[in-house]
Amino acid sequence: MMHFRQGLWEEFFKGDRLACARLITAVENEPEALPEVLDKVIPAQKGGIRVGVTGPPGVGKSTVTAALARRAVQSGHAVGILAVDPTSPFSGGAFLGDRVRMQDLGDDHRVFIRSMASRGGHGGLSPATPYAADVLDAFGLDRIFIETVGVGQAELDVLDCSDLVVLILQPGTGDVIQALKAGITEAADLFLINKADLQGTETLLDSLRFLMDISPVRKGRPFPPILEASALLDKGMDAVSAEVERLIQDCVGSGRYREKRRSRLEQEIRSAIQRKLWDGYSMLAGADDAIRAAAEEMIEKSGSPYPYIRRACSRIRIQLAEERAGCDKKE
Amino acid sequence: MAERKIKVIIAKPGLDGHDRGAKVVARALVEAGMEVVYLGLQQTPDAIVRAAVEEDADVIGLSILSGAHMSNFRKVRELMESSGLGDRLLTGGGIIPTKDQEELKKLGVGKVFGPGDDLQEIVEYIRVNARRVSG
Repeated sequence: MMHFRQGLWEEFFKGDRLACARLITAVENEPEALPEVLDKVIPAQKGGIRVGVTGPPGVGKSTVTAALARRAVQSGHAVGILAVDPTSPFSGGAFLGDRVRMQDLGDDHRVFIRSMASRGGHGGLSPATPYAADVLDAFGLDRIFIETVGVGQAELDVLDCSDLVVLILQPGTGDVIQALKAGITEAADLFLINKADLQGTETLLDSLRFLMDISPVRKGRPFPPILEASALLDKGMDAVSAEVERLIQDCVGSGRYREKRRSRLEQEIRSAIQRKLWDGYSMLAGADDAIRAAAEEMIEKSGSPYPYIRRACSRIRIQLAEERAGCDKKE
Repeated sequence: MAERKIKVIIAKPGLDGHDRGAKVVARALVEAGMEVVYLGLQQTPDAIVRAAVEEDADVIGLSILSGAHMSNFRKVRELMESSGLGDRLLTGGGIIPTKDQEELKKLGVGKVFGPGDDLQEIVEYIRVNARRVSG
């Protein structure tokens, strides 16, 4: 059964922007549409490159993204931007303000910008962001910038979702000890010190160079380049853009691009199976109530949850076996 | 998944620097659980509707204190129609005389709000009148 109205896919493949927007709305809101969307868009992808842009709040992710997007357009690319801002854990609403920093892209039809609220995502992206990137790729956009919410130390979803990651830092936000911590600094393919006209740039550079001195090679690859710029003044951004392009060529040429795509597909398979099994289990009569009752009982008796978990898992196994027997009979 | 969130574009068209009201309303909508794409100052009707297309927005809200509400609402409404957004709600607020409000209604603009109106009333109006489903 088709999820979408007739003609939507034709419009999408002809380049209709509202059709593209509608599909992103679907992957954000209508989980039942996801199989149809992926069935259609993945075969249509032409190898768009996904560039993650991440960093702490206020370092200039949107401004840098806009500057990179403008240059990508000037060199003949079709550009997509997914700009994620946080969902309020209190109201569920979101104030999406990244477009404010991207105004000069506002009338260029070679750029497609979509703001996304982070919804249930805790890794700097929303759960639907990878699928939105799949849609933009099939729409014919060959440079897709994925801007995360402001992140701290370990929000690394962008690493799985992108082919390469630009980490933006700014002067005055930490010392060598911060830089030594595990997480976000390990994910970067390019360090960009933004607002490099401000005091403290040398200190930050020193910290990053120290990191480079003690681990010049990471996972068989050279330490990421460290660049300085001031995106608001548009200073140094030509060099950053050129470096991003060089990294993209390297990513494709070295086979890392293919590896990234494979691992994204692996992950989709794993999480979809998980979802399906969980959906199957939670649809069993009264699963939610049963779980709550079991938890109550555990509190009363100071019991471990594992006996219940084992029983639940064996119920799933029995159910799967019955389903398979049913299928075999039909065949 | 939870119920579909209402997505609202909030923008200030033209030469008008007073954005406090737009921010207050945006914030109220966020607190009511909506997703608000804030475009900020000095937007052209083209840029507003283009953003609404890319965002697949359910609602466009314009804040206009400059007196240019008739031309801005008219132009945005026309562009909405020609961009396939005819089924979305166009609303807004500012200093808009009652007789102009009548005219705006004829153009296909929804209710417009002014100083002193209750934020909850605005939230409810949008909640009730936002387009919910699309094909």
